[in-house]
Amino acid sequence: MIEKIFYNIINKKQARPLETLALSAGETELIEEARKKIDRVFGRSVRIRQVDAGSCNACEWECTALINPVYDVQRFGVDFVASPRHADILLVTGPASFSMALALKKTYLAMPEPKIVIACGDCAADGGVFKGSYAVTGGVDKVVPAVSRIRGCPPSPSAIMTGIMETIRKLF
Amino acid sequence: MNPGNELYMTVESEDEFIRRSVELFGRNGGRKALRLMFAADERETGAGFNVYAVFSGMGEDVFDILRLPIRENGRGPGYKSLTPHVPAAHWYEREIADMFGIIPEGHPDSRRLVLHGMYPEGIYPLRRDVSVQDIRKKIDLERPDTYPYMKVKGEGICEIPVGPVHAGIIEPGHFRFSAVGETVYYLDPRLFYTHKGVEKHFEQIGFENGVALAERISGVSAFAHSTAYCSAVERMRGITLPVRARAARTFLLELERLYNHVGDIGNMCAGTGFAIGYARGASLKERIMRLNERLTGSRYLRGVNHIGGVSRDVLENAEETLAEAGKIKEEYKSFMGLIAGAISHIERLENAGLLPGKIARNLGATGVAARASGINDDLRTAHPYMYYDELVFETYMRTKGDVYTRMMIRADEVGCTLAIMTTILKRARGFSTGPLHAGPSAGVPPLSSALGWAEGPRGSVFYFVKSGKDGLSPLRVKVRAASFCNWPLMPFAVQGNIIPDFPLINKSFNLSYSGCDM
Repeated sequence: MIEKIFYNIINKKQARPLETLALSAGETELIEEARKKIDRVFGRSVRIRQVDAGSCNACEWECTALINPVYDVQRFGVDFVASPRHADILLVTGPASFSMALALKKTYLAMPEPKIVIACGDCAADGGVFKGSYAVTGGVDKVVPAVSRIRGCPPSPSAIMTGIMETIRKLF
Repeated sequence: MNPGNELYMTVESEDEFIRRSVELFGRNGGRKALRLMFAADERETGAGFNVYAVFSGMGEDVFDILRLPIRENGRGPGYKSLTPHVPAAHWYEREIADMFGIIPEGHPDSRRLVLHGMYPEGIYPLRRDVSVQDIRKKIDLERPDTYPYMKVKGEGICEIPVGPVHAGIIEPGHFRFSAVGETVYYLDPRLFYTHKGVEKHFEQIGFENGVALAERISGVSAFAHSTAYCSAVERMRGITLPVRARAARTFLLELERLYNHVGDIGNMCAGTGFAIGYARGASLKERIMRLNERLTGSRYLRGVNHIGGVSRDVLENAEETLAEAGKIKEEYKSFMGLIAGAISHIERLENAGLLPGKIARNLGATGVAARASGINDDLRTAHPYMYYDELVFETYMRTKGDVYTRMMIRADEVGCTLAIMTTILKRARGFSTGPLHAGPSAGVPPLSSALGWAEGPRGSVFYFVKSGKDGLSPLRVKVRAASFCNWPLMPFAVQGNIIPDFPLINKSFNLSYSGCDM
């Protein structure tokens, strides 16, 4: 039945998808300043390796949303990469479960200098709702040194984007 | 005090336990599904260790719950394994062995499941006399992991290890492929990297705080989990929700299904490299996430559910929501038109990742994975909860069991979900605008227990909650997310496919690692 509907709707006019997110004045200013630093320090683009250290997966979906056509963070020279060897920033989510601690540490060690670690989400900052459980170290900091934290459970894609830009502006 | 449709039966001998389980499950699966199986440490109440198995089927709204008291033998607690007779029990029994040290004798796979190498042998986190400090003291990150992966021997076999840190932005898990050329001969997945000790944590934080924890077990099934947890506690306290609250929960459950299914269909496009399909899917999903945020203040529908009701009236401004739902429907139709026309995409989906119905039944598949392999199982109609018994809708079932079928089941269900949402919004005017919470009620009775459930986007979600002697905190909370049932199916669906199709097959199941690992 559904197949039949498909054929009927193929030729109809396509609905209009959401437009790319417009930035507020504050965000524009922040991103422009950060971009100057990205140009100078990272050779025009900054690469992020995301590691899930026990997250519930909501933070991952918000990171994934950053590269959808609405947020399109790639337009600012920011992108996610597959290997820590290619990464400037390690974006860690989750409360750092003991079972992921070694893998997280190894990923960190595989990164080139300077190693910038950002803890993304409330769990990554201090364990969040899982604080006090036997199976979590209670924050990314307990395993690898984080230079900044992005708060929220989960932080919205905009919050992650500005968090990354803030970190770059602050550091360099 | 047990709510009406939970039929408890204590079986005295292990053989009786197996006999009754096989009777309920059927020789080849399919009679009733094994919904969940768990152990509880009830030594403080004088009942010792118990193993519970919960069965239910589509025909009648009844849960058959078998309780097997565990006897101590010379080597510690143990019982005859159920797995050789009811294959769906296999992961549950390994989990029970890890967490309680109750050994299923004769289980075909004696490897550990949940706990990795850093947890020394002989430490059983869910025993009540083991404290969090005891466990943390014994965890040793330097301890080498010696998990024996399944080895495939023979000429031309190549072993490919992948993970736990994957190339994309996804959750961690290790996959050990044994491949011949490009074809997967065997896949041995190793999960539980995101194990967060959730079930023990529930016992520490009390009933009310448990809602926030339940919402964070599996990120994109937050509302299904919180509904299942809340209804378990509500059943224990004998609370009946006002109709507006029940309808609101049902509406949000469907909204969760909507954004997941649309996102999944889009993600499958990423699995075949169909970039425009992926972009359109992601864009439409974003639109629904914004509706989530407008209605509940959270993109993941968190913070709305409370024990006894909901905190926000999501059904107010129904006209506005209806208009947005209409726009979503239009865009969805156009999106599916794009996918149906992409022949190269569809051809990759057809015949990839076949999951035979017999395997799905025997291993206890749930949700979309089950309904695409000929199992007509949907908790919304099997055990109507919240507002579902006042709605008339269709459940969908197909039999082929490939990636395409799983996509089409989702496509079918999106149409149904939009119709349910519209119906509830239209009826909303008729609901009394009274409280969204049940009135004040007694606390949780001591030593009571109840099941809670919801059909989430990935399949059935079950909670079993039992209160302690004081009634202030739970003695045991068992969480069974849909992904725990469906992960063991992956090796069978992948077998015989080429490795580049693995991400696609994986996306067609859309399994949560965190929901499985807890």
